Amino acid sequence: MIDRAPQGPYPPTEAMLAEPVPQDLRDAQEDRLRKVWKTKTGIRYLMSVNNSEVGKWYSLTCFAFMLAAGVLALLMRVQLAYPGMQFLDADRFNQFFTMHGSAMMFLFAVPLFEAMAILILPAFLGARDMPFPRLSAFGYWSFLIGGVFVLGSVLFDAAPKSGWFMYPPLATMDPGVGSDIWLLGLSFIEIASIAAAVELIVGVLKCRPPGMRINTMPLYAWYVLVVGGMILFAFPPLIAGDLLFELERALDWPFFDPSRGGDPIFWQHLFWIFGHPEVYIVFLPSVAIAAMVVPTMAQRPIVGYSWIVLSAVGTGFLSFGLWVHHMFTTGLPMISLAFFSAASEAVVIPTGIQLFVFLVTLMIGNVQKSLPMLWIAGGLAIFTAGGLTGIMLAIAPFDWQVHDTYFIVAHLHYTLFGGMILPVMAGVYYFFPFFTKRVLSVRLGKWAFWLIFGGFNLTFLPMHLTGLLGMPRRVFTYQPDLGWNTLNLVSSVGAFIIAAGFLVFTYDLLRPGKPRLRERNPWNAGTLEWSDTLSDDAWGVRSIPFITSRYPLWDQPQLVDRMAQGRYYLPDAPEGYRETMVTSVIDARPVQVQRVTGDAWITLLAAVFIGGSFILPTFHHYVAGALSGMVGVGCILYWLWTSTARVPEKDMKDAGLGLSLPTYASGPQSVGWWAMWITMLGDATAFASVVFGFFFYWTADANFPPQGAAHADPWLVGLSALALVVAWALTLGARYLNRTGRTPFARAALIAGPLAALAGGGMLVLSVLHLEPSSHVYPAVVCALVIWTGVHVLVGVLMQLYCLAGTIFGKIDPDHDADLWNVSLYWHFHVLTVLVTATVIGLGPRLL
Amino acid sequence: MPGISHRQDEEEFRGATGSLFRIALSPTIWAFHFLFCYAGAAVWCAKVGTEEGITFLRLSILGLTLLALLVIGWQGWHSYRQWAPHDNDDHVEGPHRFLGHAALLLSIISFVGVVYVALPALFIETCL
Amino acid sequence: MTRCGKQATRGPAPPAFLVLPLMLGACEGRQSALMPGGQDASQLFLIFMVMLGGAVVLWVALNGMFYYFTQVNRRHFALRHGNRIIIGAGVILPTVVVGALLAWGLSIMPSQRARGDGLVIRVNAEEWWWRVEYWPPGAEAPIASANEIRFPAGSRTELQLTASTYIHSLWIPSLGGKMDMIPGRQTVLTLHPDLEGFYRGQCAEFCGASHALMAFEAVVMAPSAFDTWLASQATPAAEPVTQDQMQGKSIFRREGCGACHTIRGTEFTGAVGPDLTHLASRASLAAGIMEVERDDLMTWIAHTREIKPQVAMPAYDWLSPEELAALAAYLESLE
Repeated sequence: MIDRAPQGPYPPTEAMLAEPVPQDLRDAQEDRLRKVWKTKTGIRYLMSVNNSEVGKWYSLTCFAFMLAAGVLALLMRVQLAYPGMQFLDADRFNQFFTMHGSAMMFLFAVPLFEAMAILILPAFLGARDMPFPRLSAFGYWSFLIGGVFVLGSVLFDAAPKSGWFMYPPLATMDPGVGSDIWLLGLSFIEIASIAAAVELIVGVLKCRPPGMRINTMPLYAWYVLVVGGMILFAFPPLIAGDLLFELERALDWPFFDPSRGGDPIFWQHLFWIFGHPEVYIVFLPSVAIAAMVVPTMAQRPIVGYSWIVLSAVGTGFLSFGLWVHHMFTTGLPMISLAFFSAASEAVVIPTGIQLFVFLVTLMIGNVQKSLPMLWIAGGLAIFTAGGLTGIMLAIAPFDWQVHDTYFIVAHLHYTLFGGMILPVMAGVYYFFPFFTKRVLSVRLGKWAFWLIFGGFNLTFLPMHLTGLLGMPRRVFTYQPDLGWNTLNLVSSVGAFIIAAGFLVFTYDLLRPGKPRLRERNPWNAGTLEWSDTLSDDAWGVRSIPFITSRYPLWDQPQLVDRMAQGRYYLPDAPEGYRETMVTSVIDARPVQVQRVTGDAWITLLAAVFIGGSFILPTFHHYVAGALSGMVGVGCILYWLWTSTARVPEKDMKDAGLGLSLPTYASGPQSVGWWAMWITMLGDATAFASVVFGFFFYWTADANFPPQGAAHADPWLVGLSALALVVAWALTLGARYLNRTGRTPFARAALIAGPLAALAGGGMLVLSVLHLEPSSHVYPAVVCALVIWTGVHVLVGVLMQLYCLAGTIFGKIDPDHDADLWNVSLYWHFHVLTVLVTATVIGLGPRLL
Repeated sequence: MPGISHRQDEEEFRGATGSLFRIALSPTIWAFHFLFCYAGAAVWCAKVGTEEGITFLRLSILGLTLLALLVIGWQGWHSYRQWAPHDNDDHVEGPHRFLGHAALLLSIISFVGVVYVALPALFIETCL
Repeated sequence: MTRCGKQATRGPAPPAFLVLPLMLGACEGRQSALMPGGQDASQLFLIFMVMLGGAVVLWVALNGMFYYFTQVNRRHFALRHGNRIIIGAGVILPTVVVGALLAWGLSIMPSQRARGDGLVIRVNAEEWWWRVEYWPPGAEAPIASANEIRFPAGSRTELQLTASTYIHSLWIPSLGGKMDMIPGRQTVLTLHPDLEGFYRGQCAEFCGASHALMAFEAVVMAPSAFDTWLASQATPAAEPVTQDQMQGKSIFRREGCGACHTIRGTEFTGAVGPDLTHLASRASLAAGIMEVERDDLMTWIAHTREIKPQVAMPAYDWLSPEELAALAAYLESLE
């Protein structure tokens, strides 16, 4: 065993930091770093995986999708300007409102969080890049492909038209391809979102600069942590729902069809278990931006750092107890509604605390009037109005009255504009000099603000009244004699004023010749992203600093200078690798030098082929879809094999300031292991949602499982579980045998493991082969559990074989076993899945 | 000169899991309390029936609420001890004290959350 | 009878001060949550007005503080003031205010969902219209109707709601909250109307192409008038009298209308579309979007799918104007 303990002094002393770096060394280091981090030009620019490039593409793509979805909204407002308008027919209107909501949520609000986090988080943390740059690039390409596919369907009159919530039976029975486009296209994007969440969580926990303890990290990082965690638990239920939904669409398995035991309400649960936390997934990152802007504008540290952490974590938890408030009118038992009413009111408290923390920080500080502050103030005015109507709506009986009316349309736009769009605009104006080294126009910014702010209130304030006067949502027209005419006309005019505001902003964003940034830190901010804004180099930071304060630029006067000199960590790239620093979770002590993946075509190819496996089945090209998926998996394997957990040329390297760090880590020390852990948490959530389905049908239907129904063969189920437990044990054994140097035995275990796993998977499939899943929801949900488990068996086998190949071709040896650790972690989760599936389908029908 | 050892790292890892667990404890209790109330009511109303009334369910919820409040209160007290009040909020406290403070505040919010979620058991007397 | 004329007899609507500035016409308040005509809607109106008042106060207070501290008073405040504000205004105040509101909201839920007093109305949502059955206490068979729901004033009526294919939602804002209608389930809504008059209800859950055009009339009558009306609804349809009407009936037969529509007392027993036995006694046509009068009837029959996208009834555009007029005359005679 190699001892990988860090060697050398830590923390650095003042004397060490004060020692100047010789100029010639400095130049040589800069040349090497520049070469390693150089952004490619020409067509090869598309190979880039660096966070600043991917983040820029990601943000601009989100913005473009937002403009497109905004245009749909304008067209709808034209149709609704007068009663009985013939501008759009019902079908087209329904496509437009469905796509407006879907695109704003899935193609703008959530991805924009990821885009901005990828763009700015490494800079907040003084890191060179995200821990898995190719994963960010893969996520971006998936997002672009999926987004163009989904949004493009509008142009071919083939868009989904059952609302962004896709309620069955309307959506399951829709005859066109619209529902499939929605399900498959957005599932693809959701998976990319989860990938981004995994990366962001690992980034916050493991890629902070030395000394940046968990209580010193910028508040933005706390929000990223919370929101990443929420994505992990909120998106999987929707993915599970999408799977069941598509099984109903493609194979007629009746999960949501009441005539065969299914229940449309089950989809509503899955959708809103995702859908409500999603609102906070959209809202919290924007509060995070405010939490960075407000202290700068007050020129003092935030008052109540712990309070902000409390409200972020508290909101994250509580937001999972609210979903039924979207279902208050579905006739659930009154007491069930009451619990959700209570939880919906409880979430007000942590949400409100954040606002008061900002208020107090400004009150105590010395407020600078500026454009970002204007947008924050506007956001506060709008958001508080939306929050107050939210308090009203959480009262269930009042919701019975205004649910699904224009009152809700007003409320949700108030929360999303005030809680998301305006703070994000503040962020754009605030961070623009950091992104582009240029500044936006103050005059145009004010114009944009007042047009958007004024137009917004003109559009949406009257809608509260429109709703109370009885106008339901999602209507393509209305009768002229109900008192809604003037209000609607005003709203339509307002919508165009908002559009004018965005036009001004877009012009300012795109116009050439914006003045170059002249000072390094234009707002006199205290956080690390402003440490290196004047150089054009793509290395992120010249050296990774040692941090002792929440606002290092305010409290550590020589920091910027020393960073630029290369006085701190990783100032050089002697081996020609892109590297960033991995530190410990709480105290951020240096742990490892992580070699991060570099520019490549393979990520783009992987996204194209995996995208194909989602898009082709939409048009019923199942074979082509499967082939595309296989090529995609091949691309991913190639990418993992060639660029992750490589055996390094030397085990320790000089990280600067006399500190020598390992270049390889496995198990809980490594970022890959954390990523696997977090991914599997999301995977387990999706599985739990399918299991929840089984018990949901049991409570919803007295005749579940139906009398005399065929069950899974209990003996085969038992044997299958046994074989898979053996496969798990063999995987674990392989890790142990490899580490203790008994490589041939490890290989034997990695040959026996897949065989046992395949036998187990095969028996599991055999145990349900006699069921007819399209006949009733009971066999359907049993088969869905088997499919889920079976696919995971295949993935597990692939992983075992990958490790086998690793031991043969020298990627894995007794000292370098990161892959084996990650694979055995996968199998820990997988064996739990197997045992739960076996219990539910084998014992469930006998016990219930 | 102080360096870093593996042992120190492992200790920190254990400490980290412990502290993060303590931060999440109170909201997790809220979550389980909530889940029990919701699932209990759903199963009771679906399987036992609406006619029997829900007195047993309401009493169980109240009992569970008292238990949850007790644990959250205990946790809040411990966190308070870990934090110990300090006047100067700007002073950067160590991670240990910070985690205590955050856990205390989360306990307060979770306490309010549990009380809110228990209110329905006072007002609602039928499944309907 | 006209739909809006009776509005005046509803007496002084409590929130007139809200409606006046909007200059709503006589018709315009009949689908409004702000003009309650029953117990449930009044209770919700009251809680809304209280919440609105509170919300305005809180909004002004919070944004006023923000404006004051950032724009007007620029002196630096001490940290302890800040902590007091966070704890007082951020934690204690909302906990108490929202907690009290929650308790109030929970306490009115049982009354909103109280059991009915006897009359049961079953409503089944179709695409895109409402099948209505009245089940007075003790009834063995229902009295069928469609696209109009009548209530006796002063008692609580139970609406048992189902749906055929898609999810819909029944909502009469002036009388109370809404309830979804879900295939495979039965949901229950109870309403206690007080003020007699004509109201309008509309589907509130998105249900496809003609969601916007799925409305109905809700009529609240004095209990005795309601009983008389219900008795008349139970009778078979009127026989055609005039030449026109008789010709209309034969066209109805010739075109196979009876395959989908029932007219009790005739050989027409179709169950696909609305029961037309007393069509002319209803205040609206095609689920709340047209009137039951000659021109509207003729337009509707000849242009169904232009008026109501994807509706099941085909457009009888091959009928001559004379035939349409005769058909309309027959239908108009079904008082």
